[in-house]
Amino acid sequence: MASQQSHKPRRRKRVEDGASTHSNHGAIISTSRSKNPEPAFPLVAFLWPTKGTVSQWVVLPLILMAVGLFRWTTGLWGYSGFQTPPMHGDFEAQRHWMELTIHLPLSQWYFHELEWWGLDYPPLTAYHSWILGKIGNFINPNWFALHTSRGIDDPTLKVFMRATVFVSEYLTYTPAVIIFLRRYTRLQSVNTWEASIALVAILMQPGTILIDHGHFQYNTVMLGFMVASMSSVLAGRPWWGAAFFVASLGFKQMALFYAPAVFSYLLGICIFPRINVVRFLVIGFTTVLSFAVLFAPLLLGAVYDSYRGIPYQSLIQPPLLQGLSFPLNEKSLYYPILLQLTQTIHRIFPFARGLFEDKVANFWCALHTFHKLHHYSGALVQRAALLATLTAILPPCVIFFFKPHKELIPLAFSACSWGFFLFSYQVHEKNVLLPLLPMTLLLGGEGGLLPSTRAWVGFANLLGVWTMFPLLKRDQLTVPYYVISLLWAYLLGLPPVSLSAYHEGLEGGLNLATKILHVNFYLVMGVWHVMEALVSPPTNKPDLWVVGNVLVGAAGFSICYLWCLWTLSIKSGVIAGIWTQRDERKVKLKEK
Amino acid sequence: MPDLYPSLLQCAVVATALKVLLFPAYKSTDFEVHRNWLAITHSLPVKEWYLENTSEWTLDYPPFFAYFEWALSQAAALFEPRLLNIKALDFDSWQTVYFQRSTVIATELVLIYALHLYVKTSPSTKNAHCAALSILLSPGLLIIDHIHFQYNGFLYGVFILSLVLARKQATVLWSGVTFVILLCLKHIYLYLAPAYFVYLLRAYCLAPDSVWRIEFRNSLKLGSSIAAVFLAAFGPFVHWDQLPQLLSRLFPFSRGLCHAYWAPNIWAMYSFTDRVLIYLAPRIGISVDQSAVHSVTRGLVGDTAFAVLPDVSAKVTFFLTLVTQTVCLIKLFFKPNWNTFIGAVTLCGYASFLFGWHVHEKAILLVIIPFSLLALKDRRYLGAFRPLVVAGHVSLFPLLFTAAEFPIKTVYTIFWLVAFLLAFDRLAPASSHARVFLLDRFSLAYITIAIPLIVYCSLIHKVAFGEKYEFLPLMFTSSYSAVGVTGSWLGFLVVYFSS
Repeated sequence: MASQQSHKPRRRKRVEDGASTHSNHGAIISTSRSKNPEPAFPLVAFLWPTKGTVSQWVVLPLILMAVGLFRWTTGLWGYSGFQTPPMHGDFEAQRHWMELTIHLPLSQWYFHELEWWGLDYPPLTAYHSWILGKIGNFINPNWFALHTSRGIDDPTLKVFMRATVFVSEYLTYTPAVIIFLRRYTRLQSVNTWEASIALVAILMQPGTILIDHGHFQYNTVMLGFMVASMSSVLAGRPWWGAAFFVASLGFKQMALFYAPAVFSYLLGICIFPRINVVRFLVIGFTTVLSFAVLFAPLLLGAVYDSYRGIPYQSLIQPPLLQGLSFPLNEKSLYYPILLQLTQTIHRIFPFARGLFEDKVANFWCALHTFHKLHHYSGALVQRAALLATLTAILPPCVIFFFKPHKELIPLAFSACSWGFFLFSYQVHEKNVLLPLLPMTLLLGGEGGLLPSTRAWVGFANLLGVWTMFPLLKRDQLTVPYYVISLLWAYLLGLPPVSLSAYHEGLEGGLNLATKILHVNFYLVMGVWHVMEALVSPPTNKPDLWVVGNVLVGAAGFSICYLWCLWTLSIKSGVIAGIWTQRDERKVKLKEK
Repeated sequence: MPDLYPSLLQCAVVATALKVLLFPAYKSTDFEVHRNWLAITHSLPVKEWYLENTSEWTLDYPPFFAYFEWALSQAAALFEPRLLNIKALDFDSWQTVYFQRSTVIATELVLIYALHLYVKTSPSTKNAHCAALSILLSPGLLIIDHIHFQYNGFLYGVFILSLVLARKQATVLWSGVTFVILLCLKHIYLYLAPAYFVYLLRAYCLAPDSVWRIEFRNSLKLGSSIAAVFLAAFGPFVHWDQLPQLLSRLFPFSRGLCHAYWAPNIWAMYSFTDRVLIYLAPRIGISVDQSAVHSVTRGLVGDTAFAVLPDVSAKVTFFLTLVTQTVCLIKLFFKPNWNTFIGAVTLCGYASFLFGWHVHEKAILLVIIPFSLLALKDRRYLGAFRPLVVAGHVSLFPLLFTAAEFPIKTVYTIFWLVAFLLAFDRLAPASSHARVFLLDRFSLAYITIAIPLIVYCSLIHKVAFGEKYEFLPLMFTSSYSAVGVTGSWLGFLVVYFSS
């Protein structure tokens, strides 16, 4: 008998829940023509062979390789500031920070020749630059030689810099998104296979690829910490959520867009359903500790440098320090620490700069076209911006505070960051990536691949990347812009490539008004591209196309904000009456 | 109808996106070669095409390819007329790059159509679909066509079309005609001509039941149509007394045994052995030809001289190629079905690649592509296919040596190998014959070695030796790949003759 057992054929291990889960979140449709289920959009077709029995250990590496190829090939194209003296662009800024951090003592980092891309990101970026600079300096010291390397455009340096973005992303953003989706999809009872589809859709987000791997920035590191923060919260470890959020904020101050949502959630879970003081203290303590850890190298470095006798008296006092009413003893031990801290904050939050940078599709820039805002004093404008932002973020934050539910995280984060994007001060067009990320994460949620969510996520993303077109065009990224965004639209079955998400009679379809709205926006975007390419604007209005882009973008983003807020209200049960009514209607429809 | 997802078209769309993103990637001198041909065919009368020699990259493809370039040049005139100047050597404005790269993508539609036809006519749609996708997404085509720059996608499209047409008795004639057209596009396919000759002879010109009865009508149709194609291609040049000049362009015999970088064949192993023997020979008392040892260019530049082993003449290589091909063709003659035909075509490709004179590493596609059509027949075929695709694609890596393209070639190839070898593994049915188990272990061990090899060649060598001993990684790569290609050839021979 023993011999028979040894001949037992090897059994193929059943892999998790794969296709065995019957719930459908929008990947499959069954048409009336054929009984066979069909992929609802092309991306599903690509993952069709992995349905059911293929291990995640195979699917995941394949996905990461495929999305990696599109990132790297986008990187073959131009970058911000390539051969455009005198100031070049973001590429030079990042390279310059590597140059200055590896050559200068810590205490000088935030003071060094500020007129040439002075360091104005929080300390984690500075440390990150230092590590990358050290590695790059080991490979080729010419790339980061002090002063002489400015505006360098060596093609191998480009490869190195592209590789740093790539590696940084694959160490932060990618694992964070994978783990987040694993937790989020489990929470929403979405099966592994549909989670993989959502993963590809999220990783192929056109805006992120084009800005980080085309234009050149490290947004994904900041976004990665943010997703890690959400993921920790999902896992029931809010203190880690706080720590990761500080890391995100410590990498790029733009993570402030999320701060109100994070704050309301963390406070909310300490109060509802019952007051939990211990949790509150733990979260508070980890937050303070994280900030301490974040600034510790910089401040300790400053102390050490003053101990070594590196002069700091010559450094210009930041306005924050000048504004103090009492005199400071420059010889004291705390002076370098205070100097460093105030200078960092002064550099990170440039209140001296304008209301908005360049042309950005938010409320202020749109308003500016009709009613010039530079008549007003800076202080007044700042106050108005603050008030408007508060008004916009208050509703989502209040809802999130009273209903701190895990499943609301992506919605609340996107509503809050849309509010910030539309109304706050000093916004760049690239900042649209912040609201887009949590909104895109909705694809991994319950019914996330159904047209009702997919069409909205797609609309926001395609509109977002469209508003960045003038920027990308300057960077010689027109071709990657079209390829990457159309590819994403194709994969997700969205306009301008396909209207399949807008067909009649789909499960989880959109209502007529939404369809008309979306299709009109897509039409305007298409017409705008044709006009921009073929017709030159009148001489007295050279910015006509850009302004048009801003107006349409601002309107579309406002609609996205409202949609997120509306969906949040419904999902949180705040608008319960309407919700139940709708349910009843649905039941009636089904009965028919 | 089983689920055929992702469809050919869906894959083509996504692959096209990647290919467009590759526009600014590294391009070899072949880019300039084809630009020059566009210029020649556009600005000179046909009479002077094969005489013109301003650029060192003279026209050395057969006439149909020249006409093909002429057709493309008509479009180029609308897009960027400056590239059509014969004197504009190394001209590569972005319009030129966009134009030439797009023509490669556009002409690949032929391949997509041929693969579509292949899937439609196959008995097992699901397996054929998978094989078709593997060809469409082949890393070989991506590296050679869309980075290095050539028109193989189009040419292999025509080739597969002729293979598919050979499947049905009603279209065998068209298969022959298509193949002759292919020969007039690129003469490298001459290597596969013996298999076509035998198959067409047996399956079309002789009666199915008896070798001794000739089908005169069929023979006449085939003969006249082949003659017509050749006449259309070469007739004008015969008329102008240019045939010798044309042929000297097509067959430059002055080249050496091995190409600049050794293609992974028997001669690579031969050269490698010679290299090793230089160090061993004095100890076992064999004389070493010092002049060959000291030639700095050894192994890197065309003309290879051997220090210890006897030199190999062109005649020897042709003899070996012909003998190895003939053996396989005997079986085809007596068993002229489509599967045997594809097997024979593959083996002709193997023989010419392994034993040929001045073989390019790119020619490995002559083996991989027809083999792909058979690989899913059963697990024994797959066993021989596996080391071939690993070796064949790894041997293409030295074509691209720039830093920016390194991640693309490696990641794409690994992606393809993982995806398709796993898919093939699931789809290939069990064989009715016994398998040689040793081959499996061999191929697994072999595939594993590829990883440290790539790491050494692309990274460790540079750190350890800098620019010194540059031939070493190349030699390792080609010797390693040669073992794989030869091993898979032997494995396939066994399968071919035993089935």
